[in-house]
Amino acid sequence: MTVGTTPRGLPIEIQGLSKHFGPVRAVDDLSFTVEPGRVTGFLGPNGSGKTTTLRMLLGLVHPSAGTATIAGRNYKDLENPTATVGAVLEATSFHPARRARTHLRMAARAGGQLDKRADEVLGLVGLTGDAKRKIGGFSMGMRQRLELATALIGDPDVLILDEPSNGLDPQGIAWLRDFMRYLAGEGRTVLVSSHLLSEMAQTIDDAVIVSFGQLKAQGTLEEITAGITNTVMRARTPEADRLAGVLTQAGIAFRRLGHDEVAMDGVTPEQVGPMLASNQIILYELAQEGGDLESVFLSLTSGLGFGDVAEHP
Amino acid sequence: MINALRAELIKMRSMPGVWVSFGLAFPLTVLIVLAVLASAGGFPGHTFSFVTSVRERRELLGAGYFGIEVLAPVIGVLCVTSEYRHKTMTTSLVLVPVRSRVLLAKVITVAIWAVLLAALSLVAVFLVALPWNAALGGVTSQVTDQIGAVVPGLMASAVLLGLFGLGFGTLVKNQVAAILLTIGGTLVLEGILEVLARAIFHYDLNWLPNAAGAALAGDIARGLGGGGGGNGQSTGLRLLTWWQGGLVMLGWGLVPLTIGYFTTFRRDVT
Repeated sequence: MTVGTTPRGLPIEIQGLSKHFGPVRAVDDLSFTVEPGRVTGFLGPNGSGKTTTLRMLLGLVHPSAGTATIAGRNYKDLENPTATVGAVLEATSFHPARRARTHLRMAARAGGQLDKRADEVLGLVGLTGDAKRKIGGFSMGMRQRLELATALIGDPDVLILDEPSNGLDPQGIAWLRDFMRYLAGEGRTVLVSSHLLSEMAQTIDDAVIVSFGQLKAQGTLEEITAGITNTVMRARTPEADRLAGVLTQAGIAFRRLGHDEVAMDGVTPEQVGPMLASNQIILYELAQEGGDLESVFLSLTSGLGFGDVAEHP
Repeated sequence: MINALRAELIKMRSMPGVWVSFGLAFPLTVLIVLAVLASAGGFPGHTFSFVTSVRERRELLGAGYFGIEVLAPVIGVLCVTSEYRHKTMTTSLVLVPVRSRVLLAKVITVAIWAVLLAALSLVAVFLVALPWNAALGGVTSQVTDQIGAVVPGLMASAVLLGLFGLGFGTLVKNQVAAILLTIGGTLVLEGILEVLARAIFHYDLNWLPNAAGAALAGDIARGLGGGGGGNGQSTGLRLLTWWQGGLVMLGWGLVPLTIGYFTTFRRDVT
């Protein structure tokens, strides 16, 4: 697989970035950096300001304060934007009557590339056979691949991907993971936002975790997971309501994950096991979790996202 | 700038609505040719005849004006509203992040396609009107002698009507609403307003887009090709001179375009 010429590694720098939509602070004094040659996960629950941050980086949204630069320059001030940055923002951003090759030729011409580059990137994302098909007939996964092909049209040094695995099937997700790793391995800067932590944990080198528009953590995956010592006990039981009552009485913090699932924070199996036995609560499953990206994320973002419904004491 | 223009040209080329507009231009022109040759024969005799007067010759040569009057603004509207309708503005601005450059590329693109639309209408005239007129006994050179008097106005009208549509589309992002307002506003509402202005205030409301376009197009718009309410013949409206009409049309294109740029076009793309 050959993407193009030798890429340069360019850093992304976010400094004191804020965006207010009326009274809503979508992004609030956010600062972090993204290094070249690594895949950096930009993680946060839905509505945490990830997309707004990426759009400010690309000049689509005007910041209320702060700066978002690539190699020290605003995106619109780059000499050749498409050869510097490729972005995947939303998989619906296509004219449905346009053919895949025509769409990519349009992108190639906008970036001063030759038309043949369209066929090259179609090959890179595995869409050569669909070059003449109208995009309106594409599946979500194909649109994501086409979006990625559009991002790669200028053979960019920096890739910015907003939830790129949305709509991809398991094979597609595995392909995307390998592709991102390959691009970073070439020395490119890869910043990928996602709320699918299990996928990200297998892909990223570094993580930036945000919640309510604010930075919660930044570092390598190892640094971030090592900093969290809290473990979570997850219990699956047909008596979830009774278990909730017992935990409340014992003063143990817990979260309901579903109708038959409860997550208990900061406890060990030695503490929980006897308590469940003495209260004769039927268990289908009792598992200790913690120290992984998802646990860190839940801890840092107050457990929001991923279908959690409530927090107790 | 050249890259942005090349991208806009390929976008227009791959929009079905643009080709539908071009597809309609030919039959609309033929329809007007038919009407011009029929009226040359003199109603109510319903006998087709070759054109005789200078005005009739110009009307025949500019038979495409009616189609241009309707379709050039539509092309302008499509150029910008399709970006909002299909959410392609995000991609467009990522590929070309300087927004003024994107808009300028659209202006040039619409101008080029409007000229092509006018050229197509002329092709229809040359393929249908001139041979038919000759078959009825007319002298072709007497018609083609009027090219200098007709074609510049036709082309200029097409470009400025296209820019009017582009400006309107920049202001009104909803594609259907923009097309309905542009066509309905110029062909229906404008005619009503002109009649009311004359009846109530004894005022020639001759600076609205259709009337200004008709002034720029000159004789070709005053006959059957004029359409709508803004042609001088149907309402007795006293039109502006051709250059006044051109300046007013330029205003109708640039003012909404400028307002749209500073309001809609520069907004956050969320």
